[in-house]
Amino acid sequence: MAAGGGGGAGGSSSSKTYSFKVVLLGEGCVGKTSLVLRYCENKFNDKHITTLQASFLTKKLNIGGKRVNLAIWDTAGQERFHALGPIYYRDSNGAILVYDITDEDSFQKVKNWVKELRKMLGNEICLCIVGNKVDLEKERHVSVQEAEAYAESVGAKHYHTSAKQNKGIEELFLDLCKRMIETAQVDERAKGNGPSQSGGARRGVQIVDDEPQAQSAGGCCSG
Amino acid sequence: MSLKSERRAIHVDQSELLCKKGCGYYGNPAWQGFCSKCWREEYQKARQKQIQEDWELAERLQREEEEAYASSQGAQGGQTSLGFTKFEEKKSNEKARKVTTVKKFFTASSKSVPKKDPEEKSGKPVQAGGRERSADILRDLKGLFVPPWELASSAEVLYDKLRDMKEAKAPSPSLTRQYSIETDRVSKDFIEFLKTYHKAGHDVYKQCKVFLETIHHKKESNIDELSEFTQDFYQNTADKLQMYWKVPPNKVEEAMDQIEKFIMTRLYKHVFCPETTDDEKKDLTVQKRIRALHWVTPQMLCVPVNEDIPEVSDMVVKAITDIIEMDSKRIPRDKLACITGCSKQIFNAIRITKNEPASADDFLPTLIYIVLKANPPRLQSNIQYITRFCNPSRLMTGEDGYYFTNLCCAIAFIEKLDAQSLNLSEEEFSRYMSGQASPKKQDTDIWDADTCPGVKQMHRNLDLLSQLSERQERIVTGAKKLEKDLIDWTEEVTREVQDIVEKYPLHIKANSQALASIDSENVEDDRLPPPLQPQVYAG
Repeated sequence: MAAGGGGGAGGSSSSKTYSFKVVLLGEGCVGKTSLVLRYCENKFNDKHITTLQASFLTKKLNIGGKRVNLAIWDTAGQERFHALGPIYYRDSNGAILVYDITDEDSFQKVKNWVKELRKMLGNEICLCIVGNKVDLEKERHVSVQEAEAYAESVGAKHYHTSAKQNKGIEELFLDLCKRMIETAQVDERAKGNGPSQSGGARRGVQIVDDEPQAQSAGGCCSG
Repeated sequence: MSLKSERRAIHVDQSELLCKKGCGYYGNPAWQGFCSKCWREEYQKARQKQIQEDWELAERLQREEEEAYASSQGAQGGQTSLGFTKFEEKKSNEKARKVTTVKKFFTASSKSVPKKDPEEKSGKPVQAGGRERSADILRDLKGLFVPPWELASSAEVLYDKLRDMKEAKAPSPSLTRQYSIETDRVSKDFIEFLKTYHKAGHDVYKQCKVFLETIHHKKESNIDELSEFTQDFYQNTADKLQMYWKVPPNKVEEAMDQIEKFIMTRLYKHVFCPETTDDEKKDLTVQKRIRALHWVTPQMLCVPVNEDIPEVSDMVVKAITDIIEMDSKRIPRDKLACITGCSKQIFNAIRITKNEPASADDFLPTLIYIVLKANPPRLQSNIQYITRFCNPSRLMTGEDGYYFTNLCCAIAFIEKLDAQSLNLSEEEFSRYMSGQASPKKQDTDIWDADTCPGVKQMHRNLDLLSQLSERQERIVTGAKKLEKDLIDWTEEVTREVQDIVEKYPLHIKANSQALASIDSENVEDDRLPPPLQPQVYAG
């Protein structure tokens, strides 16, 4: 809203609603779409899914009395669209980077994205690295230790999920939201409570300011 | 999308606010830093001088014309016939009219700019009178707005005042804005809408008017400044509605939509594709680029849409119409709605083809394909306009924002598109681009885009029919062959059987042994155990 990237909408702190934008990154076929569909619709591979599309989904949450509006932006994962990434993840509060545990390449892709995101957005953005398809544990090609160590090294959190068995997805999003709220709060405190209010007031003056001045001018004319 | 949380601080020094002449009253940037009285005085001089000059020029012109006419009259005087005089008369009339037009034109600047001059680029020629007049209007406006606490029923009074104001304004066309019917309707709706907000509505209207006037004076400034100014205005108004007037968030959003509609209908002409930017050049570049890429097929982009399904091809057409329609809308929100409409059609098309919800992996290539097919007019200008003047809350979050971002991605992709991104070799790509070759097209693609769909369909049907008749023939041949084969086979079998019968003639031997009968007495009774005999025990 008003505070854009900050994610916090104006208003008194008690009835504050956070709006977060989360981008979903990952190579094609790692199960990005299944993941969000499972989260937002609790459906998997269902022929009766009523959703028209799974590329932009929203979810309203209430975490500890704080209202959160989550907007999940799916991105095209094909290699040819890689260069378009920055247009998608600009101003986002969180990123979910999905790889397929049976596919080493998809993990390499995640590493590329992490580098890019950190370069473009710094530490403002909450990163989640997600190993999807843990139901295929037998065919695992990306070791748990490696993935978790990597996530820690870049300041991201690692999650194991299975969209098929509905494992770990709820936790992933809940955790991400909590972290985003924290970041937003830290951000607010850093700016101080003052600016958001006085800034608004001051800017309000800009327009109101003209009024007495013009009125006095009017008086000068009539007089 | 300069939505940085920290905004430009407005730094104003007291001395800067005062009139430049030092009369002690406040000055106004709109009056070049003078107070209205000093500004009038200053301006009066300059204006008088110009009016004088204009008059002189007009008079001189008229004199010259008259002299020329008189001299021509004198030179030809001897040979004029009756008919010729008539012609001369006509001509002189014409000349006189011309002169008065010229005169009118020059005097106009002192009184009023011609109202309905189609050539006039409204706003551009900030004429002497225009500026003065708008200042007057601004003051009128100020006068009209009594502070809210003095209004008995603010909504009613506001409405009346606005009506009066409109009437009062009607005879002063010098604002150099042409209020079209649409603009009028929008204002009426806006006022009606604001009535429901009571005092807050009054305040909003006032702010909007002040904002429009300010923008009006800022017209020459950089488009980015205007954009930032507009964005600031949106934010301030939203903040004020929420903080000061305590309007609930959903009502704030509604009001913001209306405000955007109201101000952007008025500003559209001045801020859409302004001459100060290279938007137009970019438009042309994109347009040329898309034209050069006419050969790209859905297969190259891996578009998951099967246009052979009539329903799907309908949706593709609708999507194309929607995206083209974007250019005709004035308000950023309406433009966004067109993009969203287009996206929804695409999702439907994908859903029917793939029978599952479309993900971004499917959506983006399809959108690119649609943009390539549609080649929407003034694409970059529209994108820039939306980015600069759309209410940021809509653009940053929400579904519309997502589709808008995708459209931006699609354009970025089209601009940078190369051989690799279409899975082609460099050589193929450059050959297609230069038009030396075109990819092997499917039947459906042979036709130009502007061919009548009915004709296309007919040709397709004819093709199908010829294919069908071919297949029919093949089937008939096959059937005949099968029939022949069957006959052959029967004959062969008969022949073979006869052969065998001849080879091994049937000898019926005499039946040496009677057929065994269960009922007969002596059936293998020798193998049966002896019949049980009753045993008698003594005792």
